[in-house]
Amino acid sequence: MSKQIKVALIGNPNTGKTSVFNQLTGLKQKVGNYPGITVEKKEGICKLPRGVKAHILDLPGTYSLNTTSLDESVVVELLLNKNDKDFPDVAVVISDVENLKRNLLLFTQIKDLKIPAILVINMADRMVRKGISLDIDLLEEKLNTKIALVSTRKGTGIDKVKELIADYKNLSVEPNIDTTVIAPEYFDKLKSTFPNEDLYKLWLVITQDVNFMPIEKNPITIPASFKTKSKPELKRLQQKETILRYQFINGILKQAYKVDVNAAKGLRATLDKILTHKVFGYLIFFVILLTIFQAIYDWSSYPMDFIDALFASGSEWVKNTLPPGVFTDLIAEGILAGIGGVVIFIPQIAFLFLFISLLEESGYMSRVVFLMDRLMRPFGLSGKSVVPLISGTACAIPAIMATRTIENWKERLITILVTPFTTCSARLPVYLIIIALVIPDGRFLGLSYQALTLMLLYLIGFGAAIFSAMILNKIMKIKTKTFFVMEMPNYKLPLLKNVVYTVLEKTKSFVIGAGKIILAISIILWFLGSNGYSDDFYNAETIVKQKIEKEGFTDFNVESMKSSLNSYKESLHDSLARNGAILDKQAITDSLQVKEILLRQKAENQEIASYKLENSYMGIAGKAIAPIVHPLGYDWKIGIAVLTSFAAREVFVGTLATIYSVGSDEEDTIKNRMAAEIDPVTKKPLFNLASGISLLLFYAFAMQCMSTLAIVKRETNTWKWPAAQLVFMSLFAYIVALIAYQTLK
Amino acid sequence: MSILQDILVYITVAIAVGYLVKKFLLPRSLFAGKKGNSKGCGNGDCGCH
Repeated sequence: MSKQIKVALIGNPNTGKTSVFNQLTGLKQKVGNYPGITVEKKEGICKLPRGVKAHILDLPGTYSLNTTSLDESVVVELLLNKNDKDFPDVAVVISDVENLKRNLLLFTQIKDLKIPAILVINMADRMVRKGISLDIDLLEEKLNTKIALVSTRKGTGIDKVKELIADYKNLSVEPNIDTTVIAPEYFDKLKSTFPNEDLYKLWLVITQDVNFMPIEKNPITIPASFKTKSKPELKRLQQKETILRYQFINGILKQAYKVDVNAAKGLRATLDKILTHKVFGYLIFFVILLTIFQAIYDWSSYPMDFIDALFASGSEWVKNTLPPGVFTDLIAEGILAGIGGVVIFIPQIAFLFLFISLLEESGYMSRVVFLMDRLMRPFGLSGKSVVPLISGTACAIPAIMATRTIENWKERLITILVTPFTTCSARLPVYLIIIALVIPDGRFLGLSYQALTLMLLYLIGFGAAIFSAMILNKIMKIKTKTFFVMEMPNYKLPLLKNVVYTVLEKTKSFVIGAGKIILAISIILWFLGSNGYSDDFYNAETIVKQKIEKEGFTDFNVESMKSSLNSYKESLHDSLARNGAILDKQAITDSLQVKEILLRQKAENQEIASYKLENSYMGIAGKAIAPIVHPLGYDWKIGIAVLTSFAAREVFVGTLATIYSVGSDEEDTIKNRMAAEIDPVTKKPLFNLASGISLLLFYAFAMQCMSTLAIVKRETNTWKWPAAQLVFMSLFAYIVALIAYQTLK
Repeated sequence: MSILQDILVYITVAIAVGYLVKKFLLPRSLFAGKKGNSKGCGNGDCGCH
């Protein structure tokens, strides 16, 4: 097998590295129009001309090789360690045509490490509109490299990149700049102490500690005899080096890079003025949020009802078609009911990600980050915490990983600890089903109460995050603040391909990721709900029939039968009147009697199923935890759902769907089943305003996600923080839910 | 037929329990190397898959 060329994609944040990576490898990594999408290295294989293959490594964005955060150190550690298995044969430096000057700083540093480097100038499609003209030949000559002009949006220039990678051996490894001129004596001393080492590499190793934590220095052992300079002195030299580099870059760009200033200004500046305005900016954002939540409700109600009904009839079909038995029951009551509890939310999740994707792709999300930065500073959070908090609306896991861009450890820790408060997509199913049950249908200024409640929950989550950050900030006493520099990307018309891909990928990830857990839990719950050990469980039928004979049906069933019979009577008369038919009194009485027998049979089956469920393994376990959840307005079934949703929040709906399916002999939609649940004490609907609000608040604050805990452990390297997070968030959620229920009941 | 359905139920429940144990209780390192990290939400070991 021929050797693969090892390629590292390096560049400033938001220059389109991942887009280049996707086009080279054919993979579909997430891309976005804001910095910090990639915080870990990603790999793929690329087929080059002449049958050569390349191993492509997509690295996190960095502005220079003088690292200031954990994600940036990934790049430096790789480039300074020739023994690393991923050490590149060639570095492909991705730059953005509009920010070439800043991008070239990194390029010259990589070039000075004597690593063969190709310069890719991306976003070439914007050159005409921005009045940019480039003299590529001159740039190639001055930078002593090969250049590819690429537009990942239009898919042009990628073949040239592949050709250049394949011919990497022809690239010059001559440095661009002689760094030693910034302190000749010091570099002489370095050279004599380490005669076999590359000077610029040594310099980078020595100066890494200046801005960030010490990096891995295994490749070079520094003898005690060598006296390096103090940190402030090294920092000053580093600044001199940067100035030297910019002098070099300015000299080249003066000749090779021309911009028509008039064309470069215009719409973007005007839009930025409005969208980041200290009053209108927030108002516009607020209106956008309202529109999103309203659309989620308005657009998805029909597909949601359709899916719900489809699964209900699917369960019925399974029961009627497959041979009767426990496995058929498992499919109908356990698997289909549980999976239905996830699939029903596909429309909402898809719409949510559609809007998030449009905001990201258009470049508006970066303006939101800017707005939020201003809002959050008084609470002690730096702007770098905003990106994780905003990406937490999709999922807390990548959001927590995005905190790697924060250099100050305490600040990073606070962001990790508060990010799970932001409303992730897993909370959406719980919110949607509870809101649909307990919040009335009315409208206020054209916006439904339900959409407003949903938005309020998002704001509560965000508020909880910044409020806890403020408290943690005071406890931990952060002195040094991270400075937040963010590049505002250009506004772009969202690429349909990227939007569709994000929506499909995220929805798939939600359905498959959560679906597997929900399916497994539904199966186990069905088993626990369909089996028991006590005499009460095995003799449920006899016990219930005797009870009905002696005491009659439960009050709820009596009322339910009465109302069903009345409705039937009315519809029978209506139907006869409509069709002009006449039935004698006896026939009507007979028909009503048959209906009553059927209703009594249904009620009897319902009471048997319910009695069996209460005495099953699940019922016994549920009743054991009932005293804990009862003060919050929940019965034992909701208690079980809360407990199982500790694995993942969205399991809540699937669990209830399975429990109600086992406890009933009728196939019905999840929403109808939940709406029909009656509180045995108050005889009123179990899901009422008080218990509903209590549940919504519980899920707004509780840490119901094992994967998030695992990722917090990984990022903090100890169980101490996830444990503290779990205890605090669960207790806080319990107390808030308790107060809400006791106040509203 | 009834015994067959019983057996199928026990197998399904055992698979479900096994999956949850693997997902939440066993250390990730036991399964390292089985999955690439170049698909999904941007990071295969992010835990949300």
